[in-house]
Amino acid sequence: MSLRDKPIRQKLMAILLLTSAVVLVLTCATLLASEFVTFRQTTLKNLSTLGGIIAANSTASLAFQNEGDAREILAALRAEPHIVAAGVYDKDGKLFARYPADLPVAALPAVPDRDGYRFERSHLVGFGPVAQAGNARLGTLYLKSDLTAVYGTLRLAGAIVALVMGVSLVVAYLLSAALQGMISRPILALAQIAKGVSDRQDYSVRAPKLAEDELGLLTDSFNQMLGRIEGQDRTLRKLIAELERSNKELEQFAYVASHDLQEPLRMVSSYTELLERRYGDKLDDRGRTFINFAVDGAVRMQRLINDLLEFSRVSTRGKPMQPVDVNRVLGVVRANLSVAIREAGALVTNDELPTVMADETQLVQLLQNLVGNAIKFRGGERPQVHVSVQRGAAECVFAVRDNGIGIAREYYERIFVIFQRLHARSEYPGTGIGLAMCRRIVERHGGRIWVESAPGQGSTFYFALPKGHRGQAP
Amino acid sequence: MKATPGSRGARGRVRGVIRAYLLGGIALLPWGPRVGAQAARPSEYQLKAVFLFNFAQFVDWPAGAFPDSTSPLVIGVLGDDPFGPYLDETVRGETVRGRPLQVRRYPKIEDIRTCHILFVSPSEESRLENILASLKHRAILTVGDGEGFAKRGGMIRFVSERNKVRMRINVAAAEAAQLTISSKLLRAAEIVTSGKP
Repeated sequence: MSLRDKPIRQKLMAILLLTSAVVLVLTCATLLASEFVTFRQTTLKNLSTLGGIIAANSTASLAFQNEGDAREILAALRAEPHIVAAGVYDKDGKLFARYPADLPVAALPAVPDRDGYRFERSHLVGFGPVAQAGNARLGTLYLKSDLTAVYGTLRLAGAIVALVMGVSLVVAYLLSAALQGMISRPILALAQIAKGVSDRQDYSVRAPKLAEDELGLLTDSFNQMLGRIEGQDRTLRKLIAELERSNKELEQFAYVASHDLQEPLRMVSSYTELLERRYGDKLDDRGRTFINFAVDGAVRMQRLINDLLEFSRVSTRGKPMQPVDVNRVLGVVRANLSVAIREAGALVTNDELPTVMADETQLVQLLQNLVGNAIKFRGGERPQVHVSVQRGAAECVFAVRDNGIGIAREYYERIFVIFQRLHARSEYPGTGIGLAMCRRIVERHGGRIWVESAPGQGSTFYFALPKGHRGQAP
Repeated sequence: MKATPGSRGARGRVRGVIRAYLLGGIALLPWGPRVGAQAARPSEYQLKAVFLFNFAQFVDWPAGAFPDSTSPLVIGVLGDDPFGPYLDETVRGETVRGRPLQVRRYPKIEDIRTCHILFVSPSEESRLENILASLKHRAILTVGDGEGFAKRGGMIRFVSERNKVRMRINVAAAEAAQLTISSKLLRAAEIVTSGKP
């Protein structure tokens, strides 16, 4: 897992620790490096100063060849324990005196090297001229200083620096662990609240505001947003509940009304028929025509009530979804419409149709309405109806194409609204419920229905049924 | 101040001759070169010549001792010269504090005019008291190697000890002549006073 995906707490800690570590390392490294350089420079300067003093004191010993005096002068180096070897060479490069007195001659360079001091591993060695006050050179002084002590001091400094660094890092860790909460705590609190809100859909909670900074501002905005959502959610729920109630009432009303209307209607039609049968011969032609009007009205009302009942039953009496072979459904539709098909001489063809999840009765109603409409709204030619299907990834789109009178674009929507008719009843009979019911059925199946058409060029009604649809509560 | 190549070359040549001579004699010894180098120790008067020259570096003369800042520093030898060529070779081309060096030989004390370091030859032993007395108030560093030279009023006496040349210095005598001897030189020498045995 990269740092990007780590919790914000760890990110903050990592940032704080990394920053402190880099700063510490850079600071300590600089400190140590400068200490090292300074130490070396100081050591070099000290040794060359010491060399200068010893050389100045040795001039007479060299000038007058007094080895004892030279040894005595060199012996003063005892005060500097880090000087491990020293030698005075005469003008000809011959060793004249050495320190310590018991030092083997081999431990000193056989002949002096060029003047100057240089570092040789753990030692600082150097040669300096011996001359009396700017006069001719009398000889050369050699000094060898052991830097172990100096390096020991440096190592100690390094160890102290490392210790300080370690302690600083621990302190930085503790501090960052304590301080990261200032930033991470409000964010985590916000995240937790947001998660709770989305998990439980409880919009009544509020995030606690911990500070007046940007996070406080964010908390405020979040809480305000929650408040607005809570208000909207409440309104929405109320609206939905109201809608559901009124919808239920309406359905109930429609069902009850149409059901209860049938009883008096049946009485009207039966008594009108009885009247015609018994007293038909006693009435004149006008009387019989009136009775026919009354019977016709009663029959139409009966159909209207039946259609309304069907319509209201789409959602109230729906059956659960199950696999339905649409080929078989079309067969039922053909049988139901056989009279109309025969009368109109219609040709109803179809592609190989799939099996879909649907309420079979309603699918029959749907296709029957569409095919029936295709035959009913025929033009001058012999009606041809073709049912085809387009299998998509998520849905099957069925098409019922006809060669009928067609529909103008401005009515594409209106035809699906209940009781909306485009034609006079005398032209094309019907209650104006069919397509509205089709839409209701398709919507109950979680699909869509639409039309593509042009006047005089036939219509194609499409309906899409989602695949694997498990059914939807009415 | 650097030694000029000429002077160094001259001395080097002399040493080289001596060394070559000695080396020739002992060349068959396996540690020949080292022994040879030690054997090349300079002779007594060669060493004394160098010391005389070196005194110039460790002694301060009063302001009136030199006519001007570039006048030569004169090293004189009174009486018979025991140095042979060494003294001339030692000072040739050298300068001390910007002054060239000159060697002058004086047969008699009266011949001494400008002189800064005077070596009183052993040949003058019998006349020493007179010589020192006549030089008493002149800023001349008197050097000798006769017995009791420093005690008798001379300033620096060379003493030969086990192949080495040591010095005895009569500081009081030097001070009387307004000469300042460097403490470094004093440390390398033995201090004596006039008259004491």
